[in-house]
Amino acid sequence: MDKRIVYKNDDNTISIIIPADCGLTIEEIAAKDVPTGKEYHIVDVADIPTDRTFRNAWEWQ
Amino acid sequence: MASIKLKGDTSGEITIDVPAVAGTNTITLPATTGNVLTDGAALPAIDGSALTNLPVPAALSTASGSAPSYSARAWASFGGGTSSAGTIYGSGNVSSVTDNATGQATINFTTAMPNANYSVVGMCTGYSNYNSTLMVLGSADGSGNQQPTTKTTSAVKVHFGHSNTVVNDHVGYLTIAIFG
Repeated sequence: MDKRIVYKNDDNTISIIIPADCGLTIEEIAAKDVPTGKEYHIVDVADIPTDRTFRNAWEWQ
Repeated sequence: MASIKLKGDTSGEITIDVPAVAGTNTITLPATTGNVLTDGAALPAIDGSALTNLPVPAALSTASGSAPSYSARAWASFGGGTSSAGTIYGSGNVSSVTDNATGQATINFTTAMPNANYSVVGMCTGYSNYNSTLMVLGSADGSGNQQPTTKTTSAVKVHFGHSNTVVNDHVGYLTIAIFG
C-alpha cells in the first residue's frame, strides 16, 4: 500500500503507521490503530523522508 | 408421507422418507463407491453452501512426542534500518506497524488477542558494523523491573537496537511472532 498514516505524539514527535496487507482499507486501519483522540493524516509514502538520520526530530507541519 | 424401507440382513433397517409437500425433488447419488454423509453429530453435513458439525482439532500435529504444540496468533517481518524502515515484508493477523521513533515500533493486531499475557518472540539482523542486536518490550530507564511499554490485546510495542547504543537505534530487519 502506497499510503501512510501520520499522527503527532504527546511530545510533538510523530508516529508513522505502515499498513499491512490485511484486507482493511487505509481508513479502517487509521480508525483502528491511531490512538484514540489523535488527529491523523493519510499521506503518500513518497511524502515520508527516506533519510532517517534525524528521525526523532521529524515534525508534522 | 411415503417411505421406502431397506431391511438389512439382521434386524436393522433404513427408512427413506418423502416429505408430504407438493413438488418434485431429485437426489442424485454420486457415481462412486463411498459413504453418504448425514447431519449426525459425528459427521459433517452440508447445510446450504456451508459445512457444519465439522470436528474441531484438539491440537496441532507434532513431529514426535506427546507435548502439545501451539501456533502463532500473529507474526510480522519488517524493516528497521535507515533504508528499510517503513517496509513490511510479510505478516499475519497484523493490520499495521507503527514507526514510533528510531528503534521503536508498535505491531497492531488485526484481530485482538484473548488477553495481554501472550508471549512475544523476535529477532533482528545487524545494522552497519553492529551484529549484536536486541529487541526488548520496554526501554530501560534505570528504574529497574521495567514493564512493557505497550502490551495490550490489540498491540505490542518493541524497542530495538544494537551493541553500540543498546536500544532505540536502527537495526536491519526484524521478525516477531506472538504466542498465547
